[in-house]
Amino acid sequence: METNSSSQTKELNTPEETKITITLPINAYFISGIRDFTLNIIKNTTKFSEQWAYRFQSVVDELCNNAIEYGSAPGKEIKITFIHSKEKYVEIIVEDTGTGKNKITASQLQKLFEERTEPGYLFTGIRGRGLIKIVKEWTDEIKFEESKQGGIKINVKKYLKEEKEKEEVNTNKINLQQESSQVVLN
Amino acid sequence: MTEASITIENLEDEKSNSLTKIIHISGQLDESNIDEKIQPIYKLLEENQKGLNIIFNLENLEYMNSKSIGYLTDIYGKITENKGQTIICNAKPNITDILQVVGLTQLIKTVNSLEEAKKKLNPTNKPTEPTTQEKEPQEEPTEPPQQAQEAPTEAPQQAQEPQEEPTEPPQQAQEAPTPEQPEQKQEQKNPEVKKETPQEIQDPQPQQAQQPPKEPKTQQEPKQNPEQPTQENSNETYKL
Repeated sequence: METNSSSQTKELNTPEETKITITLPINAYFISGIRDFTLNIIKNTTKFSEQWAYRFQSVVDELCNNAIEYGSAPGKEIKITFIHSKEKYVEIIVEDTGTGKNKITASQLQKLFEERTEPGYLFTGIRGRGLIKIVKEWTDEIKFEESKQGGIKINVKKYLKEEKEKEEVNTNKINLQQESSQVVLN
Repeated sequence: MTEASITIENLEDEKSNSLTKIIHISGQLDESNIDEKIQPIYKLLEENQKGLNIIFNLENLEYMNSKSIGYLTDIYGKITENKGQTIICNAKPNITDILQVVGLTQLIKTVNSLEEAKKKLNPTNKPTEPTTQEKEPQEEPTEPPQQAQEAPTEAPQQAQEPQEEPTEPPQQAQEAPTPEQPEQKQEQKNPEVKKETPQEIQDPQPQQAQQPPKEPKTQQEPKQNPEQPTQENSNETYKL
């Protein structure tokens, strides 16, 4: 695991940004540790709520599962990078080696992703919901890029400010409803 | 392998002849264990086909991934096809959140306690109220129209009243297609939608169960508002 503080890597990190990179062997058994790590780092080092810490847990799990299952051959590794700015966003990057049995390019994956996010798409299998239903819904940005190793790099980002604004809107809605119900009762 | 356990308990109902099982799921269901752990449930379905009701007690379930959601959806489809009912109870907030974002709470009833789940079961095995959540969240007044917009023709019926038509098996069948039908129906409706892609390789399900879920029935899963999960079905609230 590599942790870069702003003093060590000025080109990549800003003073408010922390980057952690984890390289993991291809084995689903290790993913539970990554989930725990994700949960703790989001809860303890960012201003996202506990609910969002659990959501990121799912996001990371789904991305890693795809990287392992589709993007990597046995014996290879995947790379997971966490970048967070305390007051701004959390960014998660998952990279595979492109050595899976059915190699797919980033553009193909992008197209697949767009197909399945169209309204009316029917999920009829056991699989296929992770990226579309969970990762898409719980992130603000998703990018599919070719990685240097020949695989795919998926970059997702979630902004804190937008989330806080939504929470405020929801809180205001609840307050308005409560006030209106009180008016009715009176 | 991540720790998880699935235990099956019989629920004796003296008032009716319905067969109900309580499935207690604990631990974490993920890619390392779900294929194996889910097999007893499929075996149960194989042994009890008609009128089987299932209550999933998720009190001690800490995590479930999208594949386990897929299995749950498939199991729901099989139970519904055989005129049974499926209820989820005691889900933790993060689990409820996952179920909501994939739209499963639109299909399967979710309640706060096992007792409530037992009461929900109709002793005559007739489908009851729509599978809506027990308490409508006050912070989500605009959800239904959005869901209706995003879900095409069949989905609103599926989402809102999947079990209100006990006398219309064909429609239910349409809403919950059998494993052999989805491809035909989907190809007719959306011939351009690719179902079989490199990413859609089906898992080589263990052959222990009679019918591995190759093409399971699934209901369309209307889009949920992921930003505002309801908390009424959970025993805890998230810190904001």
